[in-house]
Amino acid sequence: MLSRVAENLYWLGRYLERAESSARLINATTQVLLDLPRNASFGWDVLISVAGLDNLFRRSVSAADEAAIMGFLITDEKNPGSIVSSIRSARENSRTLREVLPRLAWERINSLYLFVNRSSSTAVGRAQRIQVLEELIERRQAVAGLLADCMSHDVAHHFMVLGQHVERADMTTRIVDINAAVLVPRQQVPEDPSIALLWIGVLKCLSAYQMYRRHVSVQVRSASVVDYLLKDPHFPRTVRYCLDELESCLSELPHHAGPIKATRVAQRRLAGMKLDNVSPAVRHEYMDAIQADLARIHEEISSEYFCGFWTNLEQNQAQVAG
Amino acid sequence: MHLDPSTYPRGAAFDELIDASGAPRPAARELFNHLSKLDKVALRERRATVDAAIMTMGITFTIYSEGENIDRAWPFDIIPRIMARDEWRRIEAGLKQRLSALNCFINDIYNEQRIVKDGVFPQEVLAGSRNFRVQCVGHAPQFGVWAHVCGTDLVRDRDGTVYVLEDNLRVPSGVSYMLENRMLMKRLFPEMFQACDILPVDDYTTRLYETLAALSPRPSERPVIAVLTPGIYNSAYFEHSYLAQQMGAILVEGSDLVVGDNDVVYMKTIDGLRRVDVIYRRIDDEFIDPEAFRKDSVLGVPGLMRAWRRGTIGIANAPGAGVADDKVVYAYVPQFIKYYLAEEAILPNVPSYLCMHDDERDYVLANLDKLVVKPANESGGYGMMIGPRATASEREECASRIKADPRNYMAQPTLLLSTAPTLIGDDLAPRHLDLRPFVLQSDSLYATTGGLTRVAMRENSLVVNSSQGGGSKDTWIVDVRN
Repeated sequence: MLSRVAENLYWLGRYLERAESSARLINATTQVLLDLPRNASFGWDVLISVAGLDNLFRRSVSAADEAAIMGFLITDEKNPGSIVSSIRSARENSRTLREVLPRLAWERINSLYLFVNRSSSTAVGRAQRIQVLEELIERRQAVAGLLADCMSHDVAHHFMVLGQHVERADMTTRIVDINAAVLVPRQQVPEDPSIALLWIGVLKCLSAYQMYRRHVSVQVRSASVVDYLLKDPHFPRTVRYCLDELESCLSELPHHAGPIKATRVAQRRLAGMKLDNVSPAVRHEYMDAIQADLARIHEEISSEYFCGFWTNLEQNQAQVAG
Repeated sequence: MHLDPSTYPRGAAFDELIDASGAPRPAARELFNHLSKLDKVALRERRATVDAAIMTMGITFTIYSEGENIDRAWPFDIIPRIMARDEWRRIEAGLKQRLSALNCFINDIYNEQRIVKDGVFPQEVLAGSRNFRVQCVGHAPQFGVWAHVCGTDLVRDRDGTVYVLEDNLRVPSGVSYMLENRMLMKRLFPEMFQACDILPVDDYTTRLYETLAALSPRPSERPVIAVLTPGIYNSAYFEHSYLAQQMGAILVEGSDLVVGDNDVVYMKTIDGLRRVDVIYRRIDDEFIDPEAFRKDSVLGVPGLMRAWRRGTIGIANAPGAGVADDKVVYAYVPQFIKYYLAEEAILPNVPSYLCMHDDERDYVLANLDKLVVKPANESGGYGMMIGPRATASEREECASRIKADPRNYMAQPTLLLSTAPTLIGDDLAPRHLDLRPFVLQSDSLYATTGGLTRVAMRENSLVVNSSQGGGSKDTWIVDVRN
């Protein structure tokens, strides 16, 4: 596997996952919004913080109202994290991967791209937003299903899965984190029904509500939701699950010592986190720490397998293998 | 009946499907039988299906403009171009004959130059060749073959004669569209493929693989074959990726490869360096190795020529093969066939006037309004002057260019390219076309069954290039004896 191809596969995994996570986040927020009591306020700009795009947003968009923020997150081509940009990057990447991916995968990604181009602007307004984004998720899952079932789970697949899970774990921490931030000013009664509603929104956004109720509790309490979304070993969108997936993928790749070590650091830190009765501020620090660990895993993968590896090697005049 | 051949507005040109009386030629009868069962609505539906398939499958070519690469959907006409098998067999033999003579010539030119010493091919033509590479002199590639993949452009004039217009020996493209066109047609008219004896085309990628694999310097092992592309911004990127995918080869860019101190070519993988045996390069000579050719090339691989000369890597087409891809050298191909193979050319050249010969130049200058003037070393129609369509000042400018550099110009009579019925709106109209078959040679010779038919979609236009409004058709070689 060429280093350049491995890197493109990794980013293909990230871009596709990013588009799906963004769609989930926006949909969940929109749903929650409809359920909030009249006097409760919801800050739309909070969504921007979740995506980690505060600076870019402040520089390029003046108003922080719903329409401006939806436009920025869904259709803005200047925002590299927007859904349209993510899908376009995924398509550009898969163009360079046509000889690696099953043929149908390219066709489906291309058709996902055509769909997003055609429909994304209608998702900015509330009327059709949920419907369009649900279709996007559906189409993205058709791609995921194809890649899971019609492609050998070989090295190429591993790199895609690595990108996908680094991105997914990162997004899960951001979604958990943001809800904490929203709740801070209004948290007089810890188990206020509207707060429970927000946590239900978080669970639904990750398609985790039903599984949470089955495996944890019918009651939705913030501490147990956070614990579930970070530490559950079986639900595929939890941080724990993603880290385990990274570890098992990496173990099948050559030269994996560095990346695996970074993954284990993250796993240990997560296991050591006490999530009962922590203040939102501490919870926020935890999320930052996990995000930093994920960034380190990314750097390790990148320097071990992608361009950085070769720059170093050529500089060191290392010997030639096989 | 909606598509009625008897009301087809045939022009002065030879038509591939409809004869002078307005009846379908024998090989096209079945097609028209079938089309007659479709009404306008059914036809529109089929065309919409095919357009949707082209979009979804992402069959595109890329136009680089204003700093962005735009993917254009491949313009495809659903009416096939049809040729009878017997006629095709003769053309196929002619194509193979031509490529083997061309390879004899290239090998001779870089080695003994017997043909020059024997006075058959003038030294001055060689001296003026822009694609002659001194870096290749004295090299003897496997099987004596330099041009492993050749795209030969064929045209048919008004009397029905098929001529060779040019031999593309550098990095000919278009074969992926030939294969995709056939796939589209099978989706579109599956019933026709049952009713008619249409010869298949899809063994091309297997044959290409075998042609390339035969060049491996390590014949005992399964060769590692790489397709070397300039990258995603190249207009033929789709094809590079398509061919790599179909052959199970690795698509590489120059920066993915490195040549070791041992003159062996490696690719950079996640598991370290891995040896490459054969490179199917889709980059021009001049850019493949900045050590040997253009220093400013960032597309190539430093040291690639060293490796090739040491015989540790097979390169197709070999560097230097373009020496025979020259409009003046072209004029000598019938002599090559006689000289190297002791045979008469099966496929004629278009009559050509070489401006380096005084009498021929005088004729060209006196008849600029009737001739097409071509520079020797350009491709894609660049620098061409079509006399009957040029203005007086364009002709004058052309005359002065010829006088300044006679070796670099040749002229041919203006041909009236043949037409075929093409679906324009809801009706059939004649459009001019050519045919590019692809011919392979390493340890054996192979020609595609048919080739890529390119069609000028604008009325009366003779320009078939996709960058200038050209489209394409599926090409059917049909056995009519059954």
